[in-house]
Amino acid sequence: MRLSTLALGGALALAAAMTAGPATAAAQETGSVYVVHGIPDTPVDVYVDGKKAIDDFKPISEQGPVDLPAGSHTVALFPADAADGSGKPVLSATAQVPAGGNVTLVAHLDASGNPKITPFENDVSSVPAGQARLVVRHTAAAPAVDVLAGGKPVVQGLSNGDQKALEVPAGSVSAAVAAAGTTDPVIGPADVNLQEGTATFVHAIGKLDGGKLELVSFTVSDLHGSPSGVPSGAPSGAPADGGAPAWLLVSTVAGLAVIAVSASRLRSATRR
Amino acid sequence: MVITSAPDRKGRSGALVGLAAGLALVLVPASVWAADAGTPGAPSPAPPAAVPAVVVPLPPVAEPAEPAELAAPAPPARIRLPALGVDAPVAPVGVDDRGRMDVPFDIATVGWYRFGPGPGATAGSAVLSGHVDDREQGYGAFHRLADLVPGDPVTVDLADGGTVAYRVETVTRFHKADLPVTDVFARTGQPRLTLVTCGGPFDYAAHGYTENVVVVARPDAP
Repeated sequence: MRLSTLALGGALALAAAMTAGPATAAAQETGSVYVVHGIPDTPVDVYVDGKKAIDDFKPISEQGPVDLPAGSHTVALFPADAADGSGKPVLSATAQVPAGGNVTLVAHLDASGNPKITPFENDVSSVPAGQARLVVRHTAAAPAVDVLAGGKPVVQGLSNGDQKALEVPAGSVSAAVAAAGTTDPVIGPADVNLQEGTATFVHAIGKLDGGKLELVSFTVSDLHGSPSGVPSGAPSGAPADGGAPAWLLVSTVAGLAVIAVSASRLRSATRR
Repeated sequence: MVITSAPDRKGRSGALVGLAAGLALVLVPASVWAADAGTPGAPSPAPPAAVPAVVVPLPPVAEPAEPAELAAPAPPARIRLPALGVDAPVAPVGVDDRGRMDVPFDIATVGWYRFGPGPGATAGSAVLSGHVDDREQGYGAFHRLADLVPGDPVTVDLADGGTVAYRVETVTRFHKADLPVTDVFARTGQPRLTLVTCGGPFDYAAHGYTENVVVVARPDAP
């Protein structure tokens, strides 16, 4: 599988070099592409623009990223035992790859169980320091779902073909998927470790009725943001040799007032 | 001294009681405060929390340490600054609810930004931060950080018993708003140790110092 991923990259890198000229220009005029196979029981060969790119792509798995030249590409899936990319494919679609973009093509079942290909844009922008991005995608033959974290819904009413991104404190979270409006898991719960400065893309795939729902995910690393500052001053809000605390000032003022009044009474008493 | 009548004596002793009470009001709290200032670890209310940057109401979960990467060094355990007589424990820290680097509440402990490179990493900036001082706790581990000069040795002891030696290269002050966070927290470039504390005038309205003191140290060539 890895080898064929490399083959895809190699073939298309060659195409990129031929069409794009200098390497720097080529780097700007490609996009990163992930592919997710979410159609159960159907191993396929993937052809991009008529050339075999992935051989024997097993269902419920993902591959990528590969760099494709920016622009429009025809992606066709043929049965894994097909002789070549001629004839009628199982599924085909035209995919737009934006320059410098990052996309996932998901072959999956729609809500009624018919196969289709849905492109998603991957948000791989920098993640705030200390956090992780979690992107959930509904690509299963199932009604709308809620995504639960620690038993509580964090995404509600996600429908087939939809995605939702969250930024959460890095760490481990117990995640599950339930039918919308319920908390009884149809997938999970499972502990997901979301590392700081990463984006994890999770795809719910398969079919609910008479089948099985599963998750396919991949993670993009090195999206770290920097902390916004370093508050290394005085944790109690005042320095060691700075001013006195407010209560001391109040007490001092009150004490001086009592002294002044008493002293004047003392003076008048003594004068008598 | 005039012999006073009974009512006069009464008035005078009342005034003396008042004087004593007034002095007590002034002096006792002052001594309490003075004693308090030298007590490390005295509890104190947390600084006011700002609007949290967290978008999602996920339940709090324990943040596990980042799994060690293949070549990642062991986490730092102590820092030693012989020129300042500092030998302080180091604890891993993350970010606060405003997205700033967390700093240990105990001002005798130095924090290491655990989401970034560690001392001894092959690239990037390992960041350690410590408080300057505090009304409740006295002087912090990095109180005199600005007194370091280029060439001063810095040693970091790692949790696995290893040691990383550095020499101070630069000592720079920044207004807090101008702290170059992408440089301070860089993950690439020559390996370096960055020590950060606060400095400049104290802003009582903002409950903090107005500047950061940043010391950059390079690995000491053996």
